[in-house]
Amino acid sequence: MKRFLAGYADVMDRISVFIGQGCSVLFFTCIVVSAAEVVMRYGFDSPSSWSTELAMTLCATAWVLSVGYVTERHRHISITMIEMLVSETTWRRLRLVQMLIAAGAIFILALALWDPAIKALNRMETSGTALNSIQPTYLKVLLVVGCILYLFQLSANLVRWVQNTEGDVSGGH
Amino acid sequence: ENLSIQTSFNAGDFSTQYLTENWLPKIEEMTDGRVSITLTPNGSVVPSRETPEAVAAGVLDGDFTSVNYFAGLEPAYAIMGDLISGYDTPEQMIGFCKDGGGEAMMQKAADSVTGGEVKVVACGPYSREALPARVPIRTFEDLQGKKIRSPEGLAAAVFEAAGASPVSIPFSEVFGALEKGIVDAADASAYVNNDATGLHDVAPYPLYPGIHSMPSMQFTINKAKWDELSEDDQKALRDWWYEAMYAMAAEVDKKDKELAERDAAGDKIEVIDWAQEDRDQLREVARKQWEAYAEKSDLAKEALDANIKYMTEIGLFKN
Amino acid sequence: MGIEYITLLIVVSLLALMALGVPLGITTLTVSLATAILYFGERAGFFVVAANVGEVLHKYELIAVPFFVFMANVLERSGIARSLFDSMAIMGGRFRGSVAVQTCVVAVVLAAMSGIMGGEIVMLGLIALPQMLRLGYDRKLSIGIICAAGALATLIPPSVVLIIYGLAAQVSITKLFAASAVPGLLLASLFIAYILVRVRMNPSLAPIYDIPETGLPFFSRLRFLKGVILPGVLIAGVLGVIYSGVATVTEAAALGAVGAVVVAAVRKELTWVMARDAMRQTVLTVGSIIWLVLGAVSLIGIYNRIGGGEFLRGLLTALDIAPIWVIVVMMLIVMVLGTFLEWIAIIFITVPIFAPVVVDLGYDPVWFGVLFAMNIQIYYLSPPFGPACFFLKSVAPKGIELQEIFRAVLPFIGLQAIGLFLVLFFPEIALWLPSMLD
Ligand code: NA
Ligand code: NA
Repeated sequence: MKRFLAGYADVMDRISVFIGQGCSVLFFTCIVVSAAEVVMRYGFDSPSSWSTELAMTLCATAWVLSVGYVTERHRHISITMIEMLVSETTWRRLRLVQMLIAAGAIFILALALWDPAIKALNRMETSGTALNSIQPTYLKVLLVVGCILYLFQLSANLVRWVQNTEGDVSGGH
Repeated sequence: ENLSIQTSFNAGDFSTQYLTENWLPKIEEMTDGRVSITLTPNGSVVPSRETPEAVAAGVLDGDFTSVNYFAGLEPAYAIMGDLISGYDTPEQMIGFCKDGGGEAMMQKAADSVTGGEVKVVACGPYSREALPARVPIRTFEDLQGKKIRSPEGLAAAVFEAAGASPVSIPFSEVFGALEKGIVDAADASAYVNNDATGLHDVAPYPLYPGIHSMPSMQFTINKAKWDELSEDDQKALRDWWYEAMYAMAAEVDKKDKELAERDAAGDKIEVIDWAQEDRDQLREVARKQWEAYAEKSDLAKEALDANIKYMTEIGLFKN
Repeated sequence: MGIEYITLLIVVSLLALMALGVPLGITTLTVSLATAILYFGERAGFFVVAANVGEVLHKYELIAVPFFVFMANVLERSGIARSLFDSMAIMGGRFRGSVAVQTCVVAVVLAAMSGIMGGEIVMLGLIALPQMLRLGYDRKLSIGIICAAGALATLIPPSVVLIIYGLAAQVSITKLFAASAVPGLLLASLFIAYILVRVRMNPSLAPIYDIPETGLPFFSRLRFLKGVILPGVLIAGVLGVIYSGVATVTEAAALGAVGAVVVAAVRKELTWVMARDAMRQTVLTVGSIIWLVLGAVSLIGIYNRIGGGEFLRGLLTALDIAPIWVIVVMMLIVMVLGTFLEWIAIIFITVPIFAPVVVDLGYDPVWFGVLFAMNIQIYYLSPPFGPACFFLKSVAPKGIELQEIFRAVLPFIGLQAIGLFLVLFFPEIALWLPSMLD
């Protein structure tokens, strides 16, 4: 069991890092799309009707899907003043509390996001613009996926906490 | 009963102040204090796009919003929300809502996106947007080849069909784009607002009365809340809303007219008022785009048919 | 339960969760979920949180954040900053305190390229600090300059802080950028004046700089200008594009990001590894910021619905003091929050409540945004939660402790406060440039 869980944590870490680093490509594409739009608009007088929506969608995807990577690297922003004030054991226990609260909050958030996502899928909400893309539906589903990824990575971090294999958790800023 | 209603107005808008000062006290008078309303600004509780569901869930007691926001939920909302180059005056379109089956249509749209938990009390626009331009566009033919900033969707389609080339830039960039000549004209707001934001300094050929946009609003109440009200109070709410909209339309129109007359008298700004033939010509072109758009759903088709029937009745279409 | 008790309960829960070390995004999400469910029940509570959280992904202006973060990362990883520093040091010549003054000037130029605080301080900490210590500059003076001048990145445009403020207060980001330029230069001038006065009164704080090239005649030093040209073009490009109205702030940020890559390529410093690492760092930074925004936006939506915004506005407008002192009170609240909260959380918690009051009182929200950004400068430096100090600590030579850094920045916090009050009582300092653009 112990080895199985350790294996899970390893695999989950790798998945999160892979997806997170893949988000680089999305951001990069987003930069290129936005910059190209300016060139097309003023250089060639032919603005597109889709660049804003595409750029938003790419960026939003990267924001949400980077959550596993951010969690794996312990990079969520928090106030760590207390770490300097309490003993190492207390701080270790507090980190468990932090992870459990995060897991609880994200689980409830996922429940809250679930219905709107399903509804949007059923009716295929669109943006109502010329392109009329399914962006609104996509973003609602994306958030649910992000929450699930967050939960999986949190459980991997929990495994590492229990097995004392966390490594550097000073992440912070 | 205090109803918490989210609007699509911003906190500092003229409409917010006008309604808060003049009309919120009236609903209390009309119901002997049984009903009062608190208006909350655009997006303050939920994003504008989500108000129908928020009303259904009971997060809001009602909404008082531009229905164009819901076009992505049901295409009929785009037809009902802003029938580009359709009606000539806000009063005509309020008439469609109040007496021409508009309310029933809006109710159907609301039911299609919620589980029948939203009561549409009333609907209609209160202003027609003017079109600030940096070059004279005096006739329908003048639209040919002009670059016009317009929101994507029906507005862009109509301008394109009329021979102009629509440009999609964010609203915040309108001033700069007109000033630099990146666009020839721009979809903005009512004459009074365009005057306030200084658009006429950079676009001295405003088209007024406007030729394109007349955003329509709806007033809804959570069905359970609505059913708790007495029939008298229900009637009072509906009457109150239409009175307020007519009054606001008249107020905006008065302000627009005063400023337009002032500007027309000066020599810096040429206020352009299209002849009726040109307006009718644009309406005919627009109609094809409405029809194309209405293909998106059965309800959109039904909404368009209802509009065209009413417009024919009041003489905007000949056949 | 009255709104005043609910407000108290919300504040206490926020503080308690933060004190436990729970991530700030999770803190605000937890409190907003709890408030929503307790107040509306499950269905409506879930809906209101989901709707507000989802809306964040539709905010177009937020896209500028990864672009500016990426741009800063490229500048940090390439040699652009280092050669900028060398060129300016040689151009500046020999006088007492010259390296300290040049550090300030370089910081201003870097600030005009970078929209986030952090990278710049790391960079100056790596380049300028060892240099100054080697030359025998006073430790505290050197540390203070780097923290204070490095923090200018979010006051001098472009600035991610101003973008987020613009979103929260719904004011033009272009105007905010224009309005913050002069106050940014004002702070830099205060820092420089302080250095010059200090080293004049106490020459042992700063020796004369002794790089041989500085002894050359001015004319032959001109060829060292070339380190300044490319960054200059990049700055002029990004800001020019924004102010000319050719592109939105977001698009200008994209152009800037592409420009930074091009500059690095021209200087033959663009490598695959550098670009990849800059991107990955961007993913981590932005990925952690977005959860703060999600949580804060969701909390605001609920708090507004239960009448909290109106309650707090009522409190502020009922204060029986002159309007300008209401602004001072707001600034003090931001300062207090700045001792323990992340800036982005401060913005989302205070701005939706403050901005309407500012307008009601007859003030310009653009001016208030500049005051806000100047206040954030103080927040960066002030203990116990002073991110600028943390950044410097991470690259400072061994033996420099956090306590020493905090002591070193104290006089500069004083200078920041002076700058803040100057703009507070003389709004034209901020507003004349945007009014020129109108
Ligand atoms: Na900056
Ligand atoms: Na601080």
